[in-house]
Amino acid sequence: MTTAIATTIRERVDRLKTIPSIPAVFLPLLKLLNAPPEQVKLEEVIKLVSYDNTIAAQCLRVASSPLFGLAKSPESIKGAVLTLGLRRVQTILLTCSLGQAFPTNNWVLDPIVFWRHSLGCAMVCRKFSEKLASSDHDKAYMAGLLHDIGFLVNCLAFSEEFGVAIKHALQEQIPFGEAERATMGFTHCETGRALAEKWHLSNDIVQVIAHHHAPELSKTAQPLVALVHLSDLLCRVRGLGYGYYERHKVDLVHNPAWAILQNQHRDLEGVDLAHFTFELDDAVEEVFELVATIFGSAAAKKH
Amino acid sequence: MTTGTQTAMTPPATKVSEPMDPIFRQIRDMVYKVCGIFLLEEKLYLMADACGRRMKELGLRTSREYWDRLTAHANRETELRHLLNEVTIGETCLFRSQPQLDALRKVILPELVAEKTKQVVKRLRIWSAGCSTGEESYTLAMNMLEESEALLKGWTVEILATDLNDRSIESAKAGIYGDYALRATSDYFKRKYFSTIDKKKLQVCPEVKKLITFSRLNLQDDSKMLFMRGMDLVFCCNVLIYFDGPSKSKVIDHFFSNLNFGGYFFLGTSESLMKLNDKFHLVHFPGTIGYWKPSLKSGKL
Repeated sequence: MTTAIATTIRERVDRLKTIPSIPAVFLPLLKLLNAPPEQVKLEEVIKLVSYDNTIAAQCLRVASSPLFGLAKSPESIKGAVLTLGLRRVQTILLTCSLGQAFPTNNWVLDPIVFWRHSLGCAMVCRKFSEKLASSDHDKAYMAGLLHDIGFLVNCLAFSEEFGVAIKHALQEQIPFGEAERATMGFTHCETGRALAEKWHLSNDIVQVIAHHHAPELSKTAQPLVALVHLSDLLCRVRGLGYGYYERHKVDLVHNPAWAILQNQHRDLEGVDLAHFTFELDDAVEEVFELVATIFGSAAAKKH
Repeated sequence: MTTGTQTAMTPPATKVSEPMDPIFRQIRDMVYKVCGIFLLEEKLYLMADACGRRMKELGLRTSREYWDRLTAHANRETELRHLLNEVTIGETCLFRSQPQLDALRKVILPELVAEKTKQVVKRLRIWSAGCSTGEESYTLAMNMLEESEALLKGWTVEILATDLNDRSIESAKAGIYGDYALRATSDYFKRKYFSTIDKKKLQVCPEVKKLITFSRLNLQDDSKMLFMRGMDLVFCCNVLIYFDGPSKSKVIDHFFSNLNFGGYFFLGTSESLMKLNDKFHLVHFPGTIGYWKPSLKSGKL
């Protein structure tokens, strides 16, 4: 990317009228995520959930959904949090707070599809990470959730140009990134990075957002970026992509990212990729249901 | 070699909220370890039903007893085959895996055509190994015909379909199918490539049949397997479950040698090679996995 384009992106992101400010619950939540689960205090989580009426309502709704098959829906935030478990509460909090930072009325991208991919990638990142003994699973989850945040910036700051790129991608059945490069001259990686830096997200997450399509370019967080790269590809071939057919053949084991990851995590060699792929299929349904429940009303309005 | 049954399959047990007997998950893991077939959550209930039927037939009372039969009994391999037969029965139909067909037409064919374009003889050879009653072979043939005026203009396509069972071969040659086998076939294909036999049955038209040679072949017959060279694509769905470990490796090695460089090998949608062969590259396409014999120029062999 030339310096001129980088400046344009930064200027546009800075000039945005509806500048997405970092959601209020976001940073405390990150802190919570970084702590070992056994040290997380239930009261703190409940406080975060209760901070915002909309989010509290979402948590109650998801906890009452058929996903959990409870005979009686929980009536209190505490009940909802206990039903959902810490991880799902975190997911809902992050999703809802990010959703609020980016009002969906002008999206050229279907928000349901965006969140399916983001939550799907987060789930795959965590499951993938869990196969590797020395990997940080929560960080992997977070990285997966945020990797494509640049698309949200595109929706706000470059909606017309991004609309053209999406059309091009669907027509040619090529990845969004390639279409962005061809029609806009830059991609969601660069716009996402501008926002992530503005929000002062941790350097690892900034690296993931900026380099998840080319992990070898990352200077400081290659293994994490490689993990997200592979998980993103896996999502896009197992029904958690952007809802259109991408004509591609994906050879994960011979992808440079695999070697990067293996360098750091020797136990990657023992992973049975086919088995892992099939395992994920069982989890896809839950991602769909979760997104449908969180965005229930939005989805109903849309269709 | 799954029987292309035309009788209706037992309806899957409805999902009940009571937890499933953990033995069934144990059986699922064992099935994957022994034959590389992964039973998805929805299939788990089908398998539990199938186990119930097998237990009844064997006069066993508890799932624990059945587990012992599958793992510690002298006839455990035979029993596992019985069980897998129950689970995979009735799966065979035309257009069984649309993601596989999409990968074939949208990704693989353009790649093969580009790679072979300099060759004098523009020919594509496909092998349906364990073709049963012909559903897969005809599906492939129809899809190739769809490309005959586009990607494959000027190309010759040969489909070799083999099975161990003579009766299956005869039935495959006839190419007559009922509603159940045609449940995934669109009206477009039905109109274009079939003629009506009676109210309930359709027959594949000669134009499609012309592409396929059906013959009997035992995949374990090493001397015959040596003569199956020069394939671009090999399909072998739900067949390997019938082989034990060592013969399975041997059959897979044959498939590898019989493929041209740059060719592809496909199994059933939930089947995998596990670690039986490290020369093939596992590759993903949207919604399906396949195995690739790297091309010479890829330098990845």
